[in-house]
Amino acid sequence: MNGENKQLTKTNPFMPETARIVRTYHLTEDVKFFQVRIVEMDKALSFKYRPGQFAMISVLGAGEAPFSISSTPSRPGLLEFCIRKAGTVTNALFRMKENDLVGFRGPYGNGFPLEKMKDKDILITVGGLGVAPLRSVLLYCLDNRDQFRRVSLLHGAKRPAEMIFREEFFALKQREDLECHLAVDEDDTGTWTENIGVVTTLFLKLKEIDIANTFALICGPPVMYKFVIKELVKLNIPKDQILMTLERRMKCGVGKCGHCAIDYVYTCLDGPVFTYWDVIHMRELI
Amino acid sequence: MQKVLTKKSLPQWVKKLLSYTIYTPVEEDDHWNFVATDNPEDINLDYPLTTLSPKKIIFPQREIFLEFCDSTEGNPEVKEVLPAEKSAVIFGVRPCDAKALTFTDKVFGGDFKDIYYWKRRNQTTLVGISCNTPPYTNCFCVSVNGSPYSKEGLDILLTDLGDKYFVETYTKKGEKLLNLAKGLFKSPTAKDKKDLEKIRIDSKKKIKRQIKNIKKIPPKLKEMFDSPFWDEESMSCLRCGICTYLCPTCHCFDINDEITSSSPIKGKRIRTWDTCQFPDFTMHSSGHNPRPDKASRLRQRILHKFLYFVDRYQNYQCTGCGRCISLCPVGIDLLEVLDKVRDYGS
Repeated sequence: MNGENKQLTKTNPFMPETARIVRTYHLTEDVKFFQVRIVEMDKALSFKYRPGQFAMISVLGAGEAPFSISSTPSRPGLLEFCIRKAGTVTNALFRMKENDLVGFRGPYGNGFPLEKMKDKDILITVGGLGVAPLRSVLLYCLDNRDQFRRVSLLHGAKRPAEMIFREEFFALKQREDLECHLAVDEDDTGTWTENIGVVTTLFLKLKEIDIANTFALICGPPVMYKFVIKELVKLNIPKDQILMTLERRMKCGVGKCGHCAIDYVYTCLDGPVFTYWDVIHMRELI
Repeated sequence: MQKVLTKKSLPQWVKKLLSYTIYTPVEEDDHWNFVATDNPEDINLDYPLTTLSPKKIIFPQREIFLEFCDSTEGNPEVKEVLPAEKSAVIFGVRPCDAKALTFTDKVFGGDFKDIYYWKRRNQTTLVGISCNTPPYTNCFCVSVNGSPYSKEGLDILLTDLGDKYFVETYTKKGEKLLNLAKGLFKSPTAKDKKDLEKIRIDSKKKIKRQIKNIKKIPPKLKEMFDSPFWDEESMSCLRCGICTYLCPTCHCFDINDEITSSSPIKGKRIRTWDTCQFPDFTMHSSGHNPRPDKASRLRQRILHKFLYFVDRYQNYQCTGCGRCISLCPVGIDLLEVLDKVRDYGS
């Protein structure tokens, strides 16, 4: 894998660093935003990662779980996560307050192939919590705007209150160098000013796409992938330029525990970013 | 190095090794298992097959990764707990079980070395015993590129020649063990070598079970991913996980925190064996399960061993020990499954 992976790797890959929660607040009813910083300042500042990589966060007594990094390496020092309350570890995390300490190890996984994506059009499609890893790449593109051509974001949520980073994306909509389309499946507020419908309906909003030079990035709930891929295939985007980041149960993050094994790959080592080409050639990916 | 050792000198040799932790097969409650002993007379090399392979010594079923204490005042203390510094010798390792460790070596190696595994692995010397007669009714090592006298993964291999052992060393670790009792080992005679040769030829012939045309199986498995075959074959599975827990090559594990006190929070982060045969092995916290039924889990076990592992590490992840066949409570027979796979649709 890439060399950046190894920088926090100590002799014992299972030994966590200590990180401090510097900011936390609710993004939606069951999703919270966590901003953390590795306590040792020089490590915090020199910590390198790629958009699309993940980390293992632990709460002493509750255990460890993998989380996508939502911040961008172009803004070093602080690491951000958006976390849904779902299991033992996330329940414990939800009880934690600012200034509390967590265990942290990583970064793990391959991340997005930024070198290949350079000077291309970037089309990001997210559903629900799928925004967690793709916010990292979106902010990276915006922070290095001259390195990418057209950048578009299609973002879908069930209801307005469940749209993660809603305010952030409404603000981003004002930017002229980003094409941002938001949709909700249903509007229960009566005040939603954006689109209503599933995320795939947003494809109609896109201006003409330069298919050969577009990288399409997808992340969302398991059911979303095949519908979005169908749209992208219809547009004729090359299979190796359709990238998706996948969720799997993981325990070690370093290719040993077997939980995330699919075909001959480990999601934690060889993923979580895979191409549609991989999906066609490896069963069980999506 | 090739030597011979008389059987009655074996305890004298072991006596010279008592600075090591010595493991030997011992029969307990109808099961043979590797147990630590400090009595050189306990060494028993004439035994069938242990229920658990010596993998359990290098990669224990449960081990502590770290201990922690999180009081409300000050920073939490997190202490790394590494395996004790103590060299060990395992006597009576079957060649299939030693070979299995060469597979777990691959998994626990790589970019992120598993320090817990390697610490034990490096300080353990494996003394094998050739299987002159198959120790188990379901042995099939020869079918998976193994042999009853394979040296893969072993430091020393002993072969029973009647009143003595033919002794071969393959590593420096192995030679060191012989050097600790130099006077006991003699050079083999021409007759010893001839006897060894004959025993080896015979030992292979005695293995009854086999996988025919194993090379045809991986490509066939690739085609059969969506086949109803897996539903039929997994029908009787109780999802007990025995097939994987007893497998010398399986390496999957879980990591959890266990607490002994909640105020202050005191506890341990532990690693325990886990199995792909349990429904929650792949279950996401959302409840979504990419491998939701017995059929997909049996398929995963078979494909991982005979297709995916081959693609990743160029070996079948099976050494032919036969434990998963003999000890499956409902009689799912790996070799019968593979026979059906090979002939499926023809």
